[in-house]
Amino acid sequence: MRQYLFKRFLQSLLAVLGAVTIVFFIIRISGDPARLMLPPEASEEQVQNLRESLGLNDPLYMQYLHYLADLVRGDFGKSLYFKDSALELVLERMPATLELALWAIAIAVVAGVLAGIISTYKRNSLADYLINAGIFVAQSLPVFWVGIVLILIFAVELKWFPTSGNVGWKSIVLPAVALAFYPIAPIARTLRSSLIDVMNQSYMLTSRAQGFSLMKSIWKRGLKNAFLPVITVISMEFGVMIAGAVVTEAVFSWPGVGQLIVQAVNNRDFPLVQACVLVVSVLYILLNFVTDMIYLWLDPRIKVK
Amino acid sequence: MKKTRMRWHFAAWLLIIALAVTGCTTQSANKGSNEPAVSQNPSASQNPSGSNAGASGNDRLEIVIARAFDIQGLDPGFLTENAQVVDNIFDTLVKRDTDMNLVPGLATSWQAIDELTWEFKLREGVKFTNGEDFNAHAVKYSLDRVLNPDNNAPTRSYVSTVSEVKVIDDYTVHVITKKPDPLIPVRFNRYPTQIVPPKYVEEVGQEYFAQHPIGTGPYKFVEWNKGSSVVLEANEEYWGGSPTVKKVTFRSIPEASTRVAALLNGEVDIITAVPPEFRDRIATSGTARLSEVVRAGNTVYVGLKTDREPFNNKLVRQALNHAIDVKAIVEQVLQGAAVETDSLIGPKDFGYAGEYDRYEYNPEKAKQLLAEAGYPNGFSATLDTVNWYIKNLDVAQVIAQQLKAIGVNITVNNVESTVYRTKVPSGEQAEMYMLGWSSTNTLDADAAIYSVLHSSDPYSTYSNPEVDAMLDEARSTTDEARRKELYKKIQEIVLEEAPRIFLYQENQYYGVSQKLDWEGRIDTAIPVFTMKAK
Repeated sequence: MRQYLFKRFLQSLLAVLGAVTIVFFIIRISGDPARLMLPPEASEEQVQNLRESLGLNDPLYMQYLHYLADLVRGDFGKSLYFKDSALELVLERMPATLELALWAIAIAVVAGVLAGIISTYKRNSLADYLINAGIFVAQSLPVFWVGIVLILIFAVELKWFPTSGNVGWKSIVLPAVALAFYPIAPIARTLRSSLIDVMNQSYMLTSRAQGFSLMKSIWKRGLKNAFLPVITVISMEFGVMIAGAVVTEAVFSWPGVGQLIVQAVNNRDFPLVQACVLVVSVLYILLNFVTDMIYLWLDPRIKVK
Repeated sequence: MKKTRMRWHFAAWLLIIALAVTGCTTQSANKGSNEPAVSQNPSASQNPSGSNAGASGNDRLEIVIARAFDIQGLDPGFLTENAQVVDNIFDTLVKRDTDMNLVPGLATSWQAIDELTWEFKLREGVKFTNGEDFNAHAVKYSLDRVLNPDNNAPTRSYVSTVSEVKVIDDYTVHVITKKPDPLIPVRFNRYPTQIVPPKYVEEVGQEYFAQHPIGTGPYKFVEWNKGSSVVLEANEEYWGGSPTVKKVTFRSIPEASTRVAALLNGEVDIITAVPPEFRDRIATSGTARLSEVVRAGNTVYVGLKTDREPFNNKLVRQALNHAIDVKAIVEQVLQGAAVETDSLIGPKDFGYAGEYDRYEYNPEKAKQLLAEAGYPNGFSATLDTVNWYIKNLDVAQVIAQQLKAIGVNITVNNVESTVYRTKVPSGEQAEMYMLGWSSTNTLDADAAIYSVLHSSDPYSTYSNPEVDAMLDEARSTTDEARRKELYKKIQEIVLEEAPRIFLYQENQYYGVSQKLDWEGRIDTAIPVFTMKAK
C-alpha cells in the first residue's frame, strides 16, 4: 500500500508539473501583458520598460526556470494586476467555488439517482421515456441559457431568490441548480444501465424469489451494487465543476475561481493563471485519488497490486 | 449491511464538507456584509419596492452600483482600469461639473504664468480622512510617484508632458512642463493626478495602500470583497459638504442580462454598460429608467493600412466610403445606439467643428471610383474585428455585404480581444480593421485623434507629414484659437484622404432606479456625491 501511495504521489506530481508547464508556454505565446496593462496612448519606451521590469524580456526557458525555482521555494509569484500573492488570491476564491460545486453535485446526485431508480423501476414505461427525455433536454441546454431563465423566473418574476452575488444561503440556490442541470443526465443514465445489469444477476432473482418487491430489491440489494460506476461519474463531474464553473460564475457573478481564471487569462496575468491552474490540477488529482480510495473501500474485490 | 453503512458514511461525509465550506464562506460574506440592496431590511432584497434609494422611514440613503468589471486595485496612480470607484475616494485639483466645465477641486484657481509653467492655488484646511493635512507637498508627492519611471505607473503617459512639480509654498504649486501643454488643467482632472496622503502611503507601502486607500474625497473606503464588491461610506467632513448618499456599494456583475435583472429586481440602483437590446426592457419597467449619454463612447471606424495595395490609392479609399450605408447600419444593426458621423472629434471635445457629410452612400459612384483607380473588378481583402464595440461582428458582416455590391470581397475575421489588443499596436492586424477611439481622458481633440493619425504612434496606420506637424503643433500651443484652426484643417485633410471608412460614434447607456436622481456623464465618471433621492 505504501509503495502504491508513493507511486501515486509521483504520478500526481508529474501530472501537475505537466499541466503547469503546458499553460506556462501557451499563455506566453498568446499575448503581451505589458501592452495590456498600459493604456493605448502609452509610448513604446514605456511598454519596453514595463516588459523589462516584469522579466518578460528574458528568454522563455530562463523565465520557465525562474518560475520553477520560485515554485520549489514555495513562491507562486505575484499577480501583475492585484500586486498580491497569486496563490492567496486563488485560495481566497476557492471556498466559493467549492461551495457552489458541492451543492450542485448534491442536487445532481439526488435528482440523478431518483431519475435512475424510477426509470429502472418503470422500465420502458411512459415515465421512463419522460424521464429520459427530460434529462436529455436538461443536458442539452447551455448552462448560460439555463442560468438566465432561472434568474428571470425565480428572481425577477417570483422574487424568491436574488439575481446574483453571494449574500446568504439564498444566493447559492439558483447557480447551484443551473450548474446541476448537466450532470443529472450522466448520473441517471449510468445508474440506470448499471442497475439493469445488476437486475439480471442471480442474487436479484433470489431476492425477488424471496418475496421482496421490485422496489425493495432495487433499494436493498441493487443500488449498492450498481453504485460503483456512478461514483466515477460523480467524481468526474465534480472535477469538471471545480475547473469549469466559469460560465455559471459569470452569469450569477459568483465570486469564485472560475471568474478569476477568465479575468487572469484575459489580462494575461501570467502568475495568476499559473497559480489557478496549479491549484485546480492539484484539487483534481486529489479528487481522483479520493475516488479511487472510496472504490477500494466500497468494493473489496478491488485490490491494490 | 456493512457496505450500506459505508455508503451512508460517504454521503454524510460529503454533506459535512458541504456544510463546513458553506459555513466558512458565509462567515466571510458576513464579514463582507455585501448586502445586495440599498436596504437594511434583508427581506427587502426580494422586493423592488424595498429598495430604499428614496428611503422610507429612517432614511440613510444607501445605494448599490453594478458595473461589468471587477476591481483589481484602488490606488489611483497605478490603476489598470477605469476610475469610477476611486473617483469617489480621491479628489483631483480640477473637477468637472455635470456640463463638463472645469471647476475648482482641490485647487481653487489655476493659470499659466509662462509658456512652461502652470500655477495652482490650493484649497486650504482640507484633510485626508485619516487626519493628514492636504497641502502642496501632497500634490508633489502624488505626481512624483506616477512620474518616476522606476515605478512603471501604467498611466504615466497621461502626465508625461510634466517635467516637475515645484512646491512654492504650502498652498501653491507650479507644474513645469517639458513643452508648452495646453491641456494641463484637463490632465489634473484625471485619476493619475488624484492626490494621495504622503505619510500614510509611505507608512503602509504601496501594496497595502492599493487595498486600503485613503483620500480627501467625498467617500471613505470601508471594505473590498475581492471578486464581488467594494463598499464606501460618506465622508461627513468632506470639504464640499456632506454627501446625500451615505453608503455606496460597487458590485461587479459581468453578465449584462444579470445586471439588468438585478436592476429590475431592485437589488441594485445603477447599472453601467446597458447593451442596446435591453434598453426597452429598462425603459418600460416602471422601476428603473434609462439614462442615455449620446456620443459618449468610441468613435468607431474601419482603419485601412494606407501603405498596402490597394489601400495606398486614395480613390479606392474614397470608393469604400461611398459604398457603405452607415445610416442603415446605425438604424438597423445598432438600433440607434450610435450616431453616424464623419467627424473625428466628438461634439463634447475641444476642437469639434461640426459634421461634414462628405461621403454620401452611393454604390454607383463607388464603382466608378474603383474603376478610375484601376480596380474595375474590385479586389479581395480581410477585415479584422473585435468584440469591443456594439454588435461589432454584425456590423462587420453588413460592411462586407455592402462592399460585395461594388465587387470587393471581404473575409471577416473576428479576433479574440486580448490578441487584438496586442496585434493592433504591433501593426499585425489585417489590412482592414475595426477600431474605435475615445477621448474620455481629456475630452480634447488631441486624445481623440493624435494616437490614431500620427505616423509615429503604434495605433496609427496613416502617415502624412503635414498632418503629423499640425498634430504636434496643436499639442503644444496654448493658443486656443490656433488649436481649433489646426484641428479643423487636420480633419479636412483626413476626410479627403480617407485613411479610414468613417462610421459612427457610440452612445452609452446606464440603467438608473426611478428613485434616484442621476444622469450618466460623457466623461464616464460616476460621482456618487452628485446623486440625490428623487
